[in-house]
Amino acid sequence: MFIADIRKDFYEVVANQRVVLLVAPDIDALCACKILQALFHCDQIQYTLVPVTGWQDLGTAFLEHKEQFRYFVLINCGANVDLLEMLQPDDDSIFFICDTHRPVDVVNVYNDTQIKLLIKQDDDLGVPSYDDIFRDEDEEGEDSGNESDEGSEPSGKRRRFDEGAVERRIERQRAKREWEARRREILFDYEQYEYHGTSAAMMFFELAWVLTKDTKDMLWWAIIGLTDQWVHDKITNMKYVTDIATMQRHVSRHSHRNEDEENSLSIDCMRISFEYDLRLTLYQHWSLYESICNSCYTSCSFKLWTLNGQKKLQEFLADMGLPLKQVRQKFNSMDMSIKENLRDVIEESSNKYGMKDIRIQTFGVHFGFKNRFLASDMVHATAALLESAEKDDSETDTFIKALDALSRSNIDRLHSGIELAKKKLIAIQQTVASCICTNLILSQGPFLYCYLMEGTPDVKLFSKPMALTLLCKYLLKAFVLSTRNKRCKLLPLVMAAPKDVEKGTVIVVGIPPESETSDKKNFFGRAFEKAAESTSSRTLHDHFDTSTNNAENRFLDGKLFLKFPERERCE
Amino acid sequence: MFCEKAIELIRELHRMSDGQLPAFNEDGLRQVLQEMEALYEQNQSDVNEAKSEGRAELIPSIKLRHCCLLRNQRCVTAYLYDRLLRIRALRWEYGSVLPANVRFHMCAEELQWFSQYKKSLASFMRSLGGDEGLDITQDMKPPKSLYIEVRCLKDHGEFEIDDGTVILLKKNSQHFLPRWKCELLIRQGVLEHVVS
Repeated sequence: MFIADIRKDFYEVVANQRVVLLVAPDIDALCACKILQALFHCDQIQYTLVPVTGWQDLGTAFLEHKEQFRYFVLINCGANVDLLEMLQPDDDSIFFICDTHRPVDVVNVYNDTQIKLLIKQDDDLGVPSYDDIFRDEDEEGEDSGNESDEGSEPSGKRRRFDEGAVERRIERQRAKREWEARRREILFDYEQYEYHGTSAAMMFFELAWVLTKDTKDMLWWAIIGLTDQWVHDKITNMKYVTDIATMQRHVSRHSHRNEDEENSLSIDCMRISFEYDLRLTLYQHWSLYESICNSCYTSCSFKLWTLNGQKKLQEFLADMGLPLKQVRQKFNSMDMSIKENLRDVIEESSNKYGMKDIRIQTFGVHFGFKNRFLASDMVHATAALLESAEKDDSETDTFIKALDALSRSNIDRLHSGIELAKKKLIAIQQTVASCICTNLILSQGPFLYCYLMEGTPDVKLFSKPMALTLLCKYLLKAFVLSTRNKRCKLLPLVMAAPKDVEKGTVIVVGIPPESETSDKKNFFGRAFEKAAESTSSRTLHDHFDTSTNNAENRFLDGKLFLKFPERERCE
Repeated sequence: MFCEKAIELIRELHRMSDGQLPAFNEDGLRQVLQEMEALYEQNQSDVNEAKSEGRAELIPSIKLRHCCLLRNQRCVTAYLYDRLLRIRALRWEYGSVLPANVRFHMCAEELQWFSQYKKSLASFMRSLGGDEGLDITQDMKPPKSLYIEVRCLKDHGEFEIDDGTVILLKKNSQHFLPRWKCELLIRQGVLEHVVS
């Protein structure tokens, strides 16, 4: 059931208890976890934090802790499956789920005792009403009771009664079949698309605000959680802008101090500011040139994998009057005169080259003399740390490293994350260029398909879901711009990369077609399940995102069987 | 050269300047004592000879040997005393049960001294703070909070806290626990204090 008052129904319930936090491996979940940890530290609520990377991990962690703990908080996992059936908990275990995955499973919505959803009830949900899905069992009992009564009447009347009873029974059965057919249809409609709701970090920040225990650190983490949803393309532009406006209110509340000469804050204090900044990834920690070459938006607009594109880029830089020598050196060492009006100059020139949205609303943080970061910088750095492909690190090790990087006292870790992110972006750009130039994207009827061979450089980076999804989206955008086939521009893309060479498994990701006004709804969850059934290859639907899948190599042979539900919508 | 063995002993301790206790160098100590005995014998015989025969030229060598004896004595007492100081520090660091490898480095007398020290520290602690006594070996630095956040570095299995609940310490899980329960595990290296 949905929680109405998050303070009374969640926080005060766990206030004197021990809690287990089960956290999924994405940046929004990490930020939400940090906010909740800070709140728990404030009120000395004892907790245990266990990172979980998939459904199996979740099940194992639950079994290990169910004897000692009653309260479980699940962050960014668990809302889109029937949790009670999966975990089989005892009656006194209570689950608090704060998850951005939609659609929320109907059992989770209508269970009153054990499942509490920390989700706003109007958060774009469209849950079918109770009567449409659940039918009281009593009605059936009455039917059979009536029949037996009627059956004991004397035989003369019985025939007439029988006819009436039989008619009524047929009528009831028909109504029941109709109801069940409608129920299947409603559930099908409800569950066919996967999408995301409001950021979990923002939900917990709101809890902190209601408790008036919110701090600038928590606000910054909430902003990072929201930006993660935008960077990884999980929410629509409209929703992003609305949520930014909400955050902006909080930011102005936190920085309303009148700073003048006498009462200025120390330079080491944390300052968060609203920025209408450029969409160039990591440009303040890199050189401007590298950033333009490796950001998805600019690279696709210029088509930098072609010679023509490179020429256009040079023209663009010349148009702005930026000397190549300046543009290629580290951003911090560029001349001040150039840096001053950089944003406006770039915006003006980009308009001429067809890039209308080069600037985006976001937030930046500033503490100490050297440390300025934009929210998207933090997201990229933490994501690179979370999915770093080092041999010795298990997934929980990288989780802990990424969690550490979010604290302000671990700037070194953040900088190492930024370096990893740069490598990742360069790898993505090179892979996209090579895929487009060597025509690795094949059209397979209802969808486009691309498989990264084992020998591809940096293919180890792409054995992780978030990196592969980012590559997939980038590749689709680039492909749509470079192909001349009009039909192909409207197709979705399925991408596969080797995950574990020894075991022969691949990781498969599917994204919906590229469009200006997409509502970011992904139908691949269902499609993958059906394809797995028809090829009878072993797939492991282990990731919390249903559009990502681990499978055997054999699964790829069955790609022809990927048929989509008939009523797919390509908006 | 005289007194070199004694300096060896001192150097041995000086090498481990971070408070570790090296093995008790019984051999070295015995050699020093033998040297002292030899010097003393020689001195005795020379003194007798000087007294009886009036040979005043033996006096400087007697003086030399006497200085060496004093030097050896000083080195040996410094060695033993420094070891005792280190053993005392071990009580404060490790608690009343020492790990086996440390106990192995102590000689029998040092072990006896350690248990006497433990007893007197315990009786002192019992005498403070009313009926219950006060454990002054806890909280060497003033604690900032009652509960601390710890991260598990290796799988340690189950761990019971004061009110009976059992926490499963699995690698890379983080817990928010009372400070006094975690200190021992932090010293052993199973848990790591996370400062955020």
